[in-house]
Amino acid sequence: MIKKMELRHPLWLRLLHWSNMISIAMLCLTGFYIHAPGSFRLFASMDNARTAHFAFAMVLVFGVVIRIYLAIVKKDWTNIVFHPIEDTKKLPSMIKYYLFLAKDHPYYGKYNPGQKGMYTAVYIMALFQVLTGFILYKPEFFTSWAYFFGGYLVVRILHYIVTWIFLLMVLVHVYLDVAEGIPVLKSIVTGKIPADFHHGYHVDEKGRKIKAEKGVSA
Amino acid sequence: MATKLSRRDFMRAAAGSAVAVSLAGYLSPYIAEAAEAGELPPVIWLTGGACSGCAISLLNCQDPDIEDLLLKVISLRFQDNVMAAQGELAIKALYDTVEQYSGKFVLVVEGSIQVKENGIYCVIGEREGHEITMLEAVKDIGSQAAAIINVGTCSAYGGLPAADPNPSESRSVADVVKGKPIINVAGCPPHPDWIVGTIAHYLLFKDIPELDSAGRPKMFYGRIIHENCQRRQYFDNGIFAKTFGEMGCMLELGCKGPIAHCDSTTRLWNGGVNWCVQCGGVCIACTEPQFPNWPIYERMAEMPIGPATTATVDQIGFVLGGAALLGIGAHLAGNVATGRIGSSKDHEKEEGDN
Repeated sequence: MIKKMELRHPLWLRLLHWSNMISIAMLCLTGFYIHAPGSFRLFASMDNARTAHFAFAMVLVFGVVIRIYLAIVKKDWTNIVFHPIEDTKKLPSMIKYYLFLAKDHPYYGKYNPGQKGMYTAVYIMALFQVLTGFILYKPEFFTSWAYFFGGYLVVRILHYIVTWIFLLMVLVHVYLDVAEGIPVLKSIVTGKIPADFHHGYHVDEKGRKIKAEKGVSA
Repeated sequence: MATKLSRRDFMRAAAGSAVAVSLAGYLSPYIAEAAEAGELPPVIWLTGGACSGCAISLLNCQDPDIEDLLLKVISLRFQDNVMAAQGELAIKALYDTVEQYSGKFVLVVEGSIQVKENGIYCVIGEREGHEITMLEAVKDIGSQAAAIINVGTCSAYGGLPAADPNPSESRSVADVVKGKPIINVAGCPPHPDWIVGTIAHYLLFKDIPELDSAGRPKMFYGRIIHENCQRRQYFDNGIFAKTFGEMGCMLELGCKGPIAHCDSTTRLWNGGVNWCVQCGGVCIACTEPQFPNWPIYERMAEMPIGPATTATVDQIGFVLGGAALLGIGAHLAGNVATGRIGSSKDHEKEEGDN
């Protein structure tokens, strides 16, 4: 039996997802070594770790810039950007679902408000890391920027704190995708999700819940 | 046709380069020449909330030595530590100079300015029966100076007296005097070459040197300690000292070399003999505006997470990570218990029930 599939993630999105994932993973690993070379002994030398850190930083810079560009051009930003009013209204039903207080959740669009909030935060954090990273990369050039934040030590601590937030977010991100079902996990590799995958219920004019016909395009 | 370069212009250009590459000794003849021509503005040196370390550092200058410097190079009219005059005579000389050269002299400030209780925490002298506070003196004399040169991190950014909790409300000169060209010769203390070089640059060119965003002359503070550190190879090779006296990069011991702007690595101190890291001490980044508001012998500051409680970023991260893992475990158990994960998901038993 061949399941009817529909496209959830286009190719450009998948490519950028994995290139950004690899660069963020490498940046975290090299970053932790650069932060604590005595206790986080993963690399042979500081030179290796720093070279890799700077190289993957450039990959991430272009990844983020291209991702934001495509999000705008392909209208993908409507899926990702957290709307402070609309999405906050939707939050209670999502929290109820995650806390097992409701058995199902309404259809939110491609991503639920929690995901939207997280993905929006990831972009802001990535841009922040790029900015603070460059300040630390060329301290003799970005001096005034560093003093804007309160000095290099503050910049370094901020850079490190945001790294930790990235790690914690990845933990939640991966788990929630696994929890939604293996098809969701598969879709970021193959791009396709079963057409009958349940994305939440729709509400008709009389307020009755009806099952979503289609997941993505509805 | 090429622009005509007079001998004098050429000498000035050469002297400017000489300042930058620490050949200040070669300058004295030209400055002496300028002094004889009567175009050298006098220098007034005021000391506020300071330890006199910057003045002592200046006394260590070798090229030119302090004798040449004081007698031939600069016309120093007031300096608490080295002047012969005392008491009212000294203060009179100070204000006479200010009056006579108003708008022309160079004011050098050493030490921070105490502003609490109208500056009563730092009195530098007495005039006609009332105390002159540092605050009053800097405001009064600073507003009449052609330029202000801050010698030391205290006068430049507040430094040690302005560190938390700052009971005397110490401030930098820039916080007290507005609208004057200010050059910050930061350091605790600054290298004598930086002081002499900056003063000589101003006297020769009648203009402030190129400054960075923290107001420091770029010719001395343009590079990072870490770039040319003698222990840099240890850093690149990942060899880190665990205790003092060990070989290796001292980053883990709290060295602030990667964030400190100055040229101590190549200029060397005490007449080119040695410098902080070479003799086994960590760099404390004394030339930075935030000095000394950081842990000197630790790499990173701890985070104040509550009243009288601190933790490292790693500790906070591990606790949050543990909490996230616990939450995930609990949620996973809930998912299995309610049948969201497992065979029931595929059959969608609950469909339509809710």
